[in-house]
Amino acid sequence: MSMLILSGVALAFSGFSAKGIVMDRHYSDIHGRGKEADSATRLRMRLLGWLALALSFIACIGASGWHIGPVLWCGVLSIAAWTVTLLLQYAPRKVVLGAWIGVPAALLAAALLLMR
Amino acid sequence: MKEGVVVKEGLRQSMSWVHTWAGLLVCWLLLLVFMAGTAAYYRHEITFWMKPELHKAAEAPSTIPAAASATLIVRELQQRAPEANGWFIDLPSERNPLIQAGWTNPPKKGMSREERRNAFRQQNVTLDPITGQHTAAPRDTRGGEFLYRLHFDLYYMSALWGRWIVGIAAMFMLVAIISGVITHKRIFKDFFTFRPKKGQRSWLDAHNATAVLALPFHLMITYTGLVTLMFMYMPSPTKALYGEDQNTMFAEVFMNVDRTKPAGVHAPLADVAPMLQQAERAWGEAPTRIVVSHPNDANAKVELFRPSGQQLSNLEPSMTFNGATGALISSTGPISTTLSARAAVYGLHLAHFADPLLRALFFICGLAGCAMVATGALLWGVKERQKYAKVVAAGGKVGFGVRLVDALNIGAIAGLPVAFAVYFWSNRLLPLDLAQRTNMEANCFFAAWGACAILAQIRPTRGMWRFQLLLGAVLLGGLPLLNVFTTGTHLGVTLFGGPGLRPVAGFDLVTLLLGALLGWAAWWLGRKGKRQAAAAKSTAPAAAAAQPAPLEAA
Repeated sequence: MSMLILSGVALAFSGFSAKGIVMDRHYSDIHGRGKEADSATRLRMRLLGWLALALSFIACIGASGWHIGPVLWCGVLSIAAWTVTLLLQYAPRKVVLGAWIGVPAALLAAALLLMR
Repeated sequence: MKEGVVVKEGLRQSMSWVHTWAGLLVCWLLLLVFMAGTAAYYRHEITFWMKPELHKAAEAPSTIPAAASATLIVRELQQRAPEANGWFIDLPSERNPLIQAGWTNPPKKGMSREERRNAFRQQNVTLDPITGQHTAAPRDTRGGEFLYRLHFDLYYMSALWGRWIVGIAAMFMLVAIISGVITHKRIFKDFFTFRPKKGQRSWLDAHNATAVLALPFHLMITYTGLVTLMFMYMPSPTKALYGEDQNTMFAEVFMNVDRTKPAGVHAPLADVAPMLQQAERAWGEAPTRIVVSHPNDANAKVELFRPSGQQLSNLEPSMTFNGATGALISSTGPISTTLSARAAVYGLHLAHFADPLLRALFFICGLAGCAMVATGALLWGVKERQKYAKVVAAGGKVGFGVRLVDALNIGAIAGLPVAFAVYFWSNRLLPLDLAQRTNMEANCFFAAWGACAILAQIRPTRGMWRFQLLLGAVLLGGLPLLNVFTTGTHLGVTLFGGPGLRPVAGFDLVTLLLGALLGWAAWWLGRKGKRQAAAAKSTAPAAAAAQPAPLEAA
C-alpha cells in the first residue's frame, strides 16, 4: 500500500514537472534565455502531465479507497507542487531529469493495481 | 467588448481591495487559530509528551488482549468510582499506549462549570498495559487539549464569545480565499514560480505558493471549520424545523441519543470481557473505547467503539450492551446520507481518522497555512512601505498604520512561536505541586505572547524581529535539551526505545526542526541587514548613521 502511495507521489511530481518545464519562464531558465518550447512539445508534455496526475489519483484511490484517497491525493499534489516549485528555481535542469521518475512509477502502480 | 474588459478589470481591482482588507483585519487572530489548529492535529501526542510520568509505562507495546485490559480497568473503577454517572475508558491502541479511564460523578448542587471541569480532571486513572499496575501519577496539565480548545474557544472568555470571534475570522478567511483566487491574474502562469531576493515579488510568490498549491486544503479547512459550528452561527433553519424542541435536533444530529435515567435500583455490572470478545468477533478488530453509563444500576449500558478505519467520518462504529444482563442491545447500522456527509465534514476538519500519513500531510498543509497568513500580513507592510520610500530616505518616519502593522506582525509571527515554546517549557519547569497548575501553564503562554506583542509595539525594528525569532528558535529548539535535564525520556532514549515512545521522539524532532527554521529566519534577516547597511554606507554615510535601520521591506 505504501508503495502505491509512493508511486502516487512520484507520478504527481512527474506530472507537475512535465507541465512546468514547458512553461515559458521555466523553459528559458533551462534551455537559455529567449528559448521557447515549440507547440508540439508543449502539447505533448501537457498531456503527459495531465496523464501522470490522473494516474497519481488512481494510485491514491487504489491505496486508500474512495473515502480517504481523494483527500490523500490533494495532500500529495501540494507536496509535489512545492517540490517542483523549489526545484524549478534552484535546480531547473534536475526537474527535466526528475520528470522521468513518472515512467517507473506508472509501471509500479499499474503492476500493484493489476496484481490485486 | 471593450466594456467587458473594463468591468473585468474593475472586478479584479475590487476583489484585490477585499482580499487585502479582509485578510489584514483578521490575520493576527487567524495566525493564532492556524498555529493552534495545526498543533491540535497531534493533541494526543502533545498531551502524552506533557505527561512524562507516563512515558516509562508506555514504552513497550501492550501484549494483553483488549478484553483482559478492560477487565483490569473495570475492576479498578469498581473500587474507585462505583457510584459514578459514567465511565470513559480508552484501551491501548495505535495512538494511545496506555489503559486510561476517567469518570463523572452525579453533579452536586451549586457546582460551577469550572469546578466540575476541574473535578473531572482529577477523576482519572492510568494503568500500565503490561503489568496492570498504576502508572506514576501524571502531572496536572491540559496538554494538547489547551491548544485544541484555544483553536476555537480562545481563552480568558466564555467559549461562546470565543467561537463567535473565531467564526467571524473564519468567514473573513473564506472571503479572503475566494477574492484572492479571483484577483490572482496569473494563477496558472505563475503556478510554479518562486523568485527569491526580489523584494515584494518574492513575498508575493511565497504567499501565492503557500496559498495556491494547498488551496484544496485551505478551502476545505475553512469551510468545514465553519460547518462544525454552523448550529451556532445559523440557528434559524433548525429553529424553523424543530421549534422549541432543540434537544431533539441535537439528539438526532449528534446521535448521543439516549440519556437514559438511572433506575435507582442496584444491579452489579455484568462482566465486560464477553462483550468485548463478541464485538471483536463481529468486527474483526478489538474495540478501543468503552463508555459505561450508570454502572451498577439496573439501567446500566456499555458502549463499545472502534476506529472508523479507512473512512473520513468522525463517527466511530459502536455496539451497545445492557450493563446489567450483558446482552447485546444494538450496533450501529448504516446512517442517513445527510448524517454521514456531516460526519465526513467533521472528520475532515478534525483529521480524526486513523491514517497517520494523512494526518502528517494535514499538519504540513497547516504549516503552509500559517506561512500563507504570515506572508500575506508581511506583504501588506512591504507594499505600504513603498509609499514612504522617499520620506524614509530623507530621514523621515513611516506612517502610523505601517508602524502598527509592523509591530503586530512581529508580535504575531515571531511572538506566537515564543508563546508556544514557553507553554511547553512551563510544563517542564513549573513546580509539580503548584495549585491551579493547568491555569498557570496557560497563563505562561499568554504572558509570553503579551510580552512579545508589547515589546514589538515599543520598538518595531529589524532588531526586534531578530531578537524574537532567535528567542523562539532557542526556546523551541531547546526543548529536546530541556527534556534531557527534566525527564528520563530525552531523544537519546526515545529514538532507541520502544514504539510507545515514538510520539515523544517525534515531538522533540519537530520542535528541533521548527526551531532551526526560526533560527534560519533570524540569520537571514541579520545577513540582509548587514548588506543593506553596507550598501547605505557606501552611498550616504550620514543618512545611514542618523537612522537606527527600521525594518526594511525584505
